[in-house]
Amino acid sequence: MRVRVDPDVCQGHTLCALAAPEVFLLREEDGHSYVVGEEVPPSMEEAVRKAVATCPEGAISIEG
Amino acid sequence: MADERVVVAFDQHSPDYKAGFPEIGHPMRSKCPVAWSEENGGYWVVTGRELIGQLAKRPDLLSNDHDPTGKRRGYRGITIPAPEGRTTRGGFLEMDPPEQLEYRRVLNPFLSPAAIERWRPMVSELSEACLDEVVESGELDFVDDLANVVPAVLTMGLLGLPLLDWVHYCEPAHATVYTPPQSPDYPRVIDLSIQMAFRLAGELERVKADPRPGMVGALVEAQRADPETFNDEDLVGTLLLLIGGGFDTTTALTSHALHWLDTRPGERRRLLEEPGLLDTATEEFVRFATPAQGGGRTITTDCEVGGHRFGAGDRVWMAYGLANHDPDAFFDPDEIVLDRFPNRHAAFGLGVHRCIGSNLARMSFKTMVVEALRRVPDYRVRQDGVVRYEDIGTINGYRHLPASFTPGRRQGPPLDEVIGRWQRTLDGEQA
Repeated sequence: MRVRVDPDVCQGHTLCALAAPEVFLLREEDGHSYVVGEEVPPSMEEAVRKAVATCPEGAISIEG
Repeated sequence: MADERVVVAFDQHSPDYKAGFPEIGHPMRSKCPVAWSEENGGYWVVTGRELIGQLAKRPDLLSNDHDPTGKRRGYRGITIPAPEGRTTRGGFLEMDPPEQLEYRRVLNPFLSPAAIERWRPMVSELSEACLDEVVESGELDFVDDLANVVPAVLTMGLLGLPLLDWVHYCEPAHATVYTPPQSPDYPRVIDLSIQMAFRLAGELERVKADPRPGMVGALVEAQRADPETFNDEDLVGTLLLLIGGGFDTTTALTSHALHWLDTRPGERRRLLEEPGLLDTATEEFVRFATPAQGGGRTITTDCEVGGHRFGAGDRVWMAYGLANHDPDAFFDPDEIVLDRFPNRHAAFGLGVHRCIGSNLARMSFKTMVVEALRRVPDYRVRQDGVVRYEDIGTINGYRHLPASFTPGRRQGPPLDEVIGRWQRTLDGEQA
């Protein structure tokens, strides 16, 4: 699975980092999210799916 | 070009605002997402969710700076009206990037999702102990007995200050927010807040002499590397900001939720039983109540944002509370819908000044509410004793939320014993 956060859509709700703190980090500047790496380890796929589902902006996309 | 501004009679500190929130925003917003008020020296009031997002993402056009002595541009900070005579800044919330970012860099590691997890057991035990203190009596005040206590002790822990000292900061932290300048109590409250600043300055000196972990320790360490950015005055301002943000906002949120749940036993059960509902409900209570109702800004340069023109030096109030009830962004905006999704609320602010403690707030709010629903499941609010803040234009809070319930059995040790035990645990981690 691959994951991306669209920086133009993210508004910094920080819910993805609560759902999957190993995958999503928050930028120092404004708390907006970015991913540690686009490739998601299998053990974290479920947490990433939860993060996608909690994002109110629809800023996170996954493939595979 | 003709002046096309929509002028409204508006003051977020007025009794009309308190009585009319959130509906008071609708007629204004339907005319224009930004309106001009002649009150408080004249300022723009932004009530549209889309526009407030566009503006908040332009730190190049907006300043939070408070500069009453005119060292920089003479801007007047985030309070509208600017407080008379206050010459100090309200910590990094009254700074602009890049200076503001220096402070956030120091404090962010304490508030990341991973960092707050280690506080969860303490928050849980504190909530239990708070309810234990009152559970046998059948009466409590959700504000005094629970929602004032837990966030305050937690904030002390994060700062690295003695946990039991929360009592010294509690009244000043809340009273300075809810007491309007015309109140007869105002001089006493100002005195309290000065004493609080002195106490914090004293703590700062103690930590300088005897370094310890926590936010105060981290700020002191930053001062050693960069004494100009992290000067004593701005450090005290920052500690006051962290106490204000840590104490008062989560208290307000918890009170709103427990008040709303008073007449809704079915919703109380759903919150405890339906997986995931507490998560969406938390965002919904945050949206609906918007504890921090808004913030003042100063426009730095003539500009046009979202088709609206602003002039350099104009004052702007980012009405996050009203924007969170914008019908263009939220269906049934004045209803609480526990499973609302998506919920694009702006209650933690947006952009570079977004709330630094939102993850902590969510965790302590959820813990307190769940514990209350478990321990006093049949509570009924005593409506005649409910006291909201006299002025909700800064924080939309409650002074009192008394309730009655079927008495239960104490399950753990007294609150002070729990606090003392956690103090020893924290001290042990540092040794």
